Amino acid sequence: MLQYLVILLDDTSVAYCHANNPLKERHLMPLETLKKGILFGMKQNLMIQYVFPDYALPEEYASVIESIDNVKIYPIGCMPVTGINDGSEADVEVTNAVPEKVEAKNLVLRLTFSEMLKQKDAIAKLFSSGARINLCITDVEQFTDEQIETYKQVLNEWNAALLDLYKQSQSPQFNLLTDRMMLEKMHNCEAGVSNITLAPNGKFYLCPAFYYDEQMKVFNQMNHHNPSSDNSVGDLEKGVDIPNPQLLQLDHAPLCRNCDAYQCRRCIWLNRRLTWDNNTPSHQQCVMAHLERNASRDLLNDIRKVGEFMPNIDIKEINYLDPFDVRKEL
Amino acid sequence: MIRTIKENADSWQSGMAKNITFIVTKDCQLACKYCYLVGKNVKERMPWEVAKTFIGYVLDHETDPDFAYESVVWDFIGGEPFLEIELIDKICDYIKTELFRRNHHWFNSYRFSFSTNGINYHEKAVQDFIKKNRDHLSIGITIDGTEKKHDLNRVYKITEKGSYKDVVKNIPLWLEQFPGGGTKVTISSADIPYITESVLHLYSLGIHEVNINVVFEDVWQEGDDLKFEEQLMQLADEIIDGGYYQDYACSFFSEHIGKPQDPERDNQNWCGAGKMLSVDAAGNLYPCTRFAQYSLRDKETWVIGNIRDGIDKNKLRPFLTLDRTTQSKPECISCEVASGCAWCQGENYDAAQTHTVFERATAICKMHKARVRANNYYWNKLYRKLELEDLREQYEANKREVKPKIC
Repeated sequence: MLQYLVILLDDTSVAYCHANNPLKERHLMPLETLKKGILFGMKQNLMIQYVFPDYALPEEYASVIESIDNVKIYPIGCMPVTGINDGSEADVEVTNAVPEKVEAKNLVLRLTFSEMLKQKDAIAKLFSSGARINLCITDVEQFTDEQIETYKQVLNEWNAALLDLYKQSQSPQFNLLTDRMMLEKMHNCEAGVSNITLAPNGKFYLCPAFYYDEQMKVFNQMNHHNPSSDNSVGDLEKGVDIPNPQLLQLDHAPLCRNCDAYQCRRCIWLNRRLTWDNNTPSHQQCVMAHLERNASRDLLNDIRKVGEFMPNIDIKEINYLDPFDVRKEL
Repeated sequence: MIRTIKENADSWQSGMAKNITFIVTKDCQLACKYCYLVGKNVKERMPWEVAKTFIGYVLDHETDPDFAYESVVWDFIGGEPFLEIELIDKICDYIKTELFRRNHHWFNSYRFSFSTNGINYHEKAVQDFIKKNRDHLSIGITIDGTEKKHDLNRVYKITEKGSYKDVVKNIPLWLEQFPGGGTKVTISSADIPYITESVLHLYSLGIHEVNINVVFEDVWQEGDDLKFEEQLMQLADEIIDGGYYQDYACSFFSEHIGKPQDPERDNQNWCGAGKMLSVDAAGNLYPCTRFAQYSLRDKETWVIGNIRDGIDKNKLRPFLTLDRTTQSKPECISCEVASGCAWCQGENYDAAQTHTVFERATAICKMHKARVRANNYYWNKLYRKLELEDLREQYEANKREVKPKIC
């Protein structure tokens, strides 16, 4: 069931997940489209999440944007120039470089794997900021099995930093390591299931990445029964129309439905890009998610040596990193 | 007489075989009206260097789990494969030499397999090849039934003349060389009235095994299912009343079809796409030939790699995680006559609403249900006859059945 409507206010709105935004030319969502999008969200009872570009929006947008309760996703440091000066804070700040400090409640840190390795200590320093830190690797497809030990080592180092904070009675939140300790079932991106994206052209997409791909002509169309739709899954006139919606659901993902790397994003855009099927993750996604899962297990065990913590959570020891390798046993 | 592949089958049939397909040409003498190969052409002929590099790639990966099969079937497909008999001969010689030189575990555990239109079966180059490889060979000639039924679809590409006469003349030679040889018959909408006479005609030619199936594509007209059921019941009467059931088989009739299937216990995929490997003239690799561009109407090709860079295993993952229930609609999962209802992964992909192999095409639904009704009639009638003649036990002990071919 849809719960969130992501509204890309401009073609250059900040990318906040795995996919980079390759669109360089500004193309602001027309005010009428924005109003219709908000109305759609209100009628469908959806929480609206605005994704801002790095420039100030025209003044007339401010009152429309604030006509409904919302979440704001900004490029870091750009809030003062967005033209929205209602005194509210950014809910999510996004950056492609490790910042000195974090102002927002949530920080999305988008780095390549090699950038992450170089910045691992600086990333660890953010854990004590009080903000939730979401690290998003932007070149998952480049990850190789030769890097498994390296990633394991970095996760261990971050575990040590997080453990110190827990010992100081703090509750750091770092998506890759602390989420799994809190979860009893899958908690994934759920693009097309719990959230849908409205692009500046007035069409719906499973997530911003599918819009970028359409604009860049990366993939052929999403809906083969409606070739003119390209990657879109409906528009503001006709509503959301997702072909094969069942294939976005967990129970229709053979590898994921028995998996317990609950913190995994289950990014369907990466699925499609790397395996060509929306419901099938790549080897890289599975291995990285399982390294994080296993490190979360270590962190949970270490915290429990200090005191009782999340007694209802049980992360089992497993002997694989890719469920594909043991698919007949699962 | 040439010994048959069946006589030499024990060494490899007991284990799983890897199926590796060379698309040696996309050309064919015929332009069959039901052919799913929409992109046939005379240009894409496999160069020797591509074949050689591909064989090297496969044999270099002997220990890779994807190739860790006890045996191998080297399959040659077109178009019409025997148009490239010289290349095929060279490929097979090279495979044998390399298997021996590498002391590969497939040495003496391989077969070369062909499905041919039979037109140039008698030619010297083909016959020389058969003699050279007789212990490791499987050849099926496609003949669709009576001249009328065969020529309805299987016509030459320029003249549109029927090919029956040019095929049937080679059947005696083929059956002499492959006495247990079976033929593959394809049924489309226009063929339905000719099913009974065609199967009986094939029996009369000495073909004991008729593998027959309806096309998976959405070609069916209103009322076709009832006509199909009527034809199959006529065929059932002919087979039973004529006593053909004792020595002949027709894959339409099977005791294992038409039952409900358990979502967990009977959850395996029907199709072998992804476990197979195909290569085309450009050196591109596919999970099955049906994913090469010349087989696809509406979708782009699903290339899983090439002979230089190898297989991108991520592109194989959807195929190797496929199961019945995930790709089936709820009505298929709860269908009371589900067993034996087949699908083709390539057709599923081609007909799907999205870029996926997880959407099962159901164009044959009514045809399968019609088949099940006729099949029930067949077995009820046959068993009653056998019981009345006190021959049931004898039949059970000796019965012959064509197993459904899972590609």
